[in-house]
Amino acid sequence: MMNSETNVTPTETVSASRRRSWITAALAVAILVPSLFGFGSKFLEFVALVRGDVDGAFAVTPVVNYLLASLGFLCLFAWAVLHGMFHDIERPKWTMLENEQRLDRHAPWPKLDALRKTR
Amino acid sequence: MSAGTVTTLPPNQPEHENLVEERLVAWFFVAALVYMAVSFLGGLLMALQLVRWNPLQGSEWLSPGRWRMIHTNAIAYGFLANAFLGALHWAVPRLTLRPVLSRALSYFIFVAWQVVVLSTAAGILMGQAQGIEWGETPVWIDPLALAGLLLVAINFMAPIIKAEGPLYVTLWYFMAAFVWTFLTYAMGNFLPEYFVPGTSGGAIAGLFIHDLVGLFVTPLGWGLMYYFVPILLQKPIWSHGLSLVGFWGLAFFYPLNGIHHFLYTPIPMFLQYGAVIATIAVELVVTTVIINFFGTIWGSGKAVVNNLPIRWFYTGMVLYFITCFQCALQVTLTFQALIHFTDWVVGHAHLVMFGVFTMWLMGIMTYLFPRLLRRPWYSYTLCEWHYWLSTAGIVSMFIDLTLAGVFQGYAWASLQPWDVSVELSEPFWIFRIFAGLTIIAGQLCFAWNLLMTWLGKTSDEPATSAATNAWGTA
Repeated sequence: MMNSETNVTPTETVSASRRRSWITAALAVAILVPSLFGFGSKFLEFVALVRGDVDGAFAVTPVVNYLLASLGFLCLFAWAVLHGMFHDIERPKWTMLENEQRLDRHAPWPKLDALRKTR
Repeated sequence: MSAGTVTTLPPNQPEHENLVEERLVAWFFVAALVYMAVSFLGGLLMALQLVRWNPLQGSEWLSPGRWRMIHTNAIAYGFLANAFLGALHWAVPRLTLRPVLSRALSYFIFVAWQVVVLSTAAGILMGQAQGIEWGETPVWIDPLALAGLLLVAINFMAPIIKAEGPLYVTLWYFMAAFVWTFLTYAMGNFLPEYFVPGTSGGAIAGLFIHDLVGLFVTPLGWGLMYYFVPILLQKPIWSHGLSLVGFWGLAFFYPLNGIHHFLYTPIPMFLQYGAVIATIAVELVVTTVIINFFGTIWGSGKAVVNNLPIRWFYTGMVLYFITCFQCALQVTLTFQALIHFTDWVVGHAHLVMFGVFTMWLMGIMTYLFPRLLRRPWYSYTLCEWHYWLSTAGIVSMFIDLTLAGVFQGYAWASLQPWDVSVELSEPFWIFRIFAGLTIIAGQLCFAWNLLMTWLGKTSDEPATSAATNAWGTA
């Protein structure tokens, strides 16, 4: 189905697929954990300030904005997990490309080779 | 025009013509280019004003402050919004294999959005701007614009929700953009105006201006890259899992970034620090996205030479990484003490808006216009000139303004009189005019090429250049 020149097919070797999964997981952990730690500690400072300072409530508005936006995405994330959106996580990239190639094969525009011959 | 081989599609498989309203895609692109011309004219006039050569002196309606707002608003709501809407009308139906909710609604959105943009321009020129950067839209237009954004979300979300199976990363980005853009616009244009005055309003304005970049432009831009790059390279994205890490990282870390626009202000320091950390977290997330795209092109590097849209895309990605790296540094308090209010920030903004997102959209237009018009580009040489003049112009403008910012910052830090910083800036401002003219020359090449292509004119040059591959072969 895929372009033979690129030598990439859905049946790529298991080792290549496994290596990619490990790199993805390593990057995810290396980036998300420190980021979450930094962000979480700052958030705790914020909570302490709001509780301890009469002027602390001043800062609530932008943070509430953030929480409202993030809460929605947390719900979306939970929904995605529960509906299997991350099962077979690499499949959508193949499906998309196959659909595109199918649509292009039947597309109304002339093919490149035909155009080159007319010039 | 010659016809290629078109075979019959199996039953139950949607065809391209039934999915994409091509005329509308072309209309959105043309509208975008018209607003780009207006925006560039505004930018040029402002650049001339800085060297005290304002050709419109004495006209209140066309005063520099208003032209500057036309420049920024026309590029955001005129060029970017229209170009994105055009690209979305192509990408969403093909990705979901379903048309948008209503083609009639799409045409209504096209007309309504032009009314919103033109009304905004008229309101700004008449002095009705709100005092919020990029939210200058007069108050009477805000509800209409918000209603328009809601209609856009409904029209595109309908096919996305019906899509079967795990979603491709592009659709995640698009879904987020539809929700975020609506919320961001409402936040920036209503909260400071009616509900949250004073310093809190300032914090909201900071969130708004940055979220407009990060939650409207960025997800649409990256979503389109995840769609077009694999198609043009004819190979899938390196890791779909990693692309989802990038998406969810953006979703959770980006929304608090905006306060980094207001470091050293009365906004509580922990919020400022929080914005600094969130920004650096986003830059790390961006690194995963860049790794993914360069992992994708690994082994197909010649495409950057042979395929003009790919060259536009990857040039934009390199500049995106530069701008994000710059961002991670400049949000620190130490850096801000030097560059705040200087032309460094202007250079940064131009690199993001033109060097990244406009470049991506130009690559998309270079790829799609031949398909929409059913004929190859009139001149591949002009396509090349378009790319090289645009790239040379924006890179030189970025370097020029960055240097100007450093000089200005040190002049102020050493307590030199204001006039000194103005005088030392003038060579940089003059150079900036020429860099801007270079960019404009590139866009004129594109406009002429498009006009000739649209009119069906042909040139005698051989079809051997990289732009030939705008048809999609790497």
